Amino acid sequence: MAREDIHVGLEIGTTKVCAVVAECRQDGNIRLLGVGEAPSRGVRKGEIVDFENACSCVREALSDAEEKSDVEIRNVWLAVTGSHIESFNNRGSVIIPDEGGEITEEEIQEVEYKAKEISLPKENEILHSIIQHYYVDGQKGVLNPVGMLGSRLEADFHIIHGVRNRIQNSIRCVKECHIEVLDVVVNSLASAQVVLGQHQKESGTLVVDIGGGVTDFIVYVDGAVRHSGVLAVGGDHITNDISIGLRIPITRAEKLKIEEGSAVLGKSLPGDKIVLKNDTGFSGKEVEREMLNMIIHARLEELFSLLRKHLGDEVPQHLLGSGVMLTGGCSMVRGIREVAESVFEMPVQLARAQAVSGPTSAFENPQFSTCIGLTKYGQAVRSEMAEDSSLVHAIKNLGRFLRLPF
Amino acid sequence: MITYPKYLDRSETPIVRLVGLGNAGVNLADRIHMTHRLDIETVAINSDQQSLSSSVASTKISLGPLTTRGLGAGGDPEIGLDAARESLADIEAAVGGADIIFLCAGLGGGTASGAGGLVAEAAKKAGALLIAIVTSPFGFEGRRRAAQAAVALQEIGNQADAVIHFENDRMAELSAPRSGVAETFAGCDELLGGCLEAVVRLVSAPGPLGVGLPDLLSILNGGDGSCLFGTAAAAGDNRAHEALEDALKSPLLDHGRLLDDAASVLVHISGPPSLSLAEVGAVMQEISRKAPDHSLLHLGISTLQEKESPVVVSVIAKCGTARPARAPMPAPPARKPQPKPQQQPQPPAEDPAPPSSQEPLIEAGPLLEEKPLIAADPLPAPVAPPTPAPRPRPARTEPKPAPPKVKQETLQFEPVARGRFEKIEPTIVEGEDLDVPTFLRLTGKNR
Repeated sequence: MAREDIHVGLEIGTTKVCAVVAECRQDGNIRLLGVGEAPSRGVRKGEIVDFENACSCVREALSDAEEKSDVEIRNVWLAVTGSHIESFNNRGSVIIPDEGGEITEEEIQEVEYKAKEISLPKENEILHSIIQHYYVDGQKGVLNPVGMLGSRLEADFHIIHGVRNRIQNSIRCVKECHIEVLDVVVNSLASAQVVLGQHQKESGTLVVDIGGGVTDFIVYVDGAVRHSGVLAVGGDHITNDISIGLRIPITRAEKLKIEEGSAVLGKSLPGDKIVLKNDTGFSGKEVEREMLNMIIHARLEELFSLLRKHLGDEVPQHLLGSGVMLTGGCSMVRGIREVAESVFEMPVQLARAQAVSGPTSAFENPQFSTCIGLTKYGQAVRSEMAEDSSLVHAIKNLGRFLRLPF
Repeated sequence: MITYPKYLDRSETPIVRLVGLGNAGVNLADRIHMTHRLDIETVAINSDQQSLSSSVASTKISLGPLTTRGLGAGGDPEIGLDAARESLADIEAAVGGADIIFLCAGLGGGTASGAGGLVAEAAKKAGALLIAIVTSPFGFEGRRRAAQAAVALQEIGNQADAVIHFENDRMAELSAPRSGVAETFAGCDELLGGCLEAVVRLVSAPGPLGVGLPDLLSILNGGDGSCLFGTAAAAGDNRAHEALEDALKSPLLDHGRLLDDAASVLVHISGPPSLSLAEVGAVMQEISRKAPDHSLLHLGISTLQEKESPVVVSVIAKCGTARPARAPMPAPPARKPQPKPQQQPQPPAEDPAPPSSQEPLIEAGPLLEEKPLIAADPLPAPVAPPTPAPRPRPARTEPKPAPPKVKQETLQFEPVARGRFEKIEPTIVEGEDLDVPTFLRLTGKNR
């Protein structure tokens, strides 16, 4: 049986590099074939700080994925993140040449081109331009204007941009392994592909992907991306806080966070202590459980408060009908949902990849949301490309200039 | 002063006697007697006839039948003392002939608080090694009882070779917060009983590295009388680790933390013939990590014949830094943190330490001259003793007051560490460095 349409998603994360090999069917379903993982070295806050080390981790993860999926990986969809990635909404407008003429693909391309005509810092490059809504002669909420009549076409785009060199670093890191990068996708956008269903995109949802080094977030309202961004705070910060606060080594702090930590305060009995083993296996230091939880709570509460503050200007609370979805490795911290709920004051769910089949352990794990999302993104872009293959520039620019099916 | 005490003159297993004094003491002694099934004689001493009649002790002494009429001391130590005086002959008879006497008492009430000192004195006079196992009242029992207990503890401590002191307030540590009262008290008695059993086993069990009464005595000598205790048994693959771990968990040891202060530590390990040297080594290594460097470690090992018997680790340590004169090494480090007492009583004159006899004279001179200066600034004092050369001293003393060692609190602008994010681009949002732990920034703000 020929395995058609195999996509590989690669994420160079702060804690781990992971590669997901998935088979994408025509009906949109995704079957995971294998997940390759390698603990990450040389990555801090989602960005590469030690190129050599990061390369070897990527190689490790890719060969692990090849081995598990029995697929030879030639090209990947690469997730990028980092505090340099920013976004804004911009409107472009074009006049339809002949008065009352029909809107064609050409105009659509043009209006996007116009929307992207903005002044960015020199070193920045647009990563994604995602259509939100079209306006035909001022008529709001047009989803697909092709074929409609009008004299003026306007469009709101959500534009995500980042520092070119930093993105190039990630790409080069993969190319070092002689693997082609099909395109780079922002973490949050990739995660949203699998954790959100169409319904949630319509009713308005905030997706928060808390990884090791960074927190990516994206807001969908009315089926379109309204806002997105990156906050360079992640699970590593919690570990670091614990390490500083309790004066224990980082590795110990990480273990403590995973095994004992909780973000809910007031649940432990006073005097409830956690005994840490020292290197000879005897119980050494004692840690007050409430202290540990307080440290985790403080960090997460702050993170969510910052997010809420940040969103407050852009996205009114009432637009988020479906509440908040948490994903990413850090969403496994106990009690994180309660903290998020108290800060955002709306329902919070822990999300994981949906509409995916394959090894349960992989898609149930929120750590892989981004990677699985990449494959889905890849599939969506590919199918778009097949449709639009007549357009030469579409092929040239790969998915970058293509509309995504929202 | 050291005569030839009776307990050194032993040819066989020492005679151990368990004395319960007062209601709580009798209860404790009964419980120890019943649960641990030790081959020891139990003596119940109480002014309350009712308590005595229900006791399982082999010897019962009713204190002061005339003073109290068998109705108890009613919480008044004076009555307890009078009653003890009245029955002193009985007490002396009961404690006579024993090598080790365990005196169990719950302090704070009338009988034990009043009679404790007297009974302890009688036991000491009889030539026994006296180990007092006492509990002090709960905080909620009021200050009066606490005060009575403190006085009685001191009286007993003056006589006893060792005091194993358990504060009832720490009972909560022994059991889950919501467990029953009876269970909690049983846990406390179990703990103290375990101590007692460990001491008995320690001095009686044969082994390749035996611990005799003299060893025990050297541990318990000196200090302020209070002693740290932990014992636990474990079997299985990781038995040595587990046993020590549990032993250190004892509230009497405060989870091994109190070992920091121990002047001497005795570790006794008993186990089946399969007890290996590696296991002993592991235990001792951990102990020496917890104990201060200058503390004297004693090790006792005994092996039992039964193959199934668990490994039992007992840790006994003596608090306090006061040491017998024959161990001069630990003295200087112990004194260092307390510079004042060293200077005020003018120790060089009294100190029998061998170093040059000229020193006291030389030191006395400048000390007297400088007195007003030193009195004003206590800090140069610790600097003075280590300078041995007499000549540079006057020269040095002049500028000494100039650089004041008073710690100037500096305002820290960069007060906190960023840990692993030290060397990478900071995440600054709204003027706050998010790499700095949130809880640190929060506490900073609250100030």
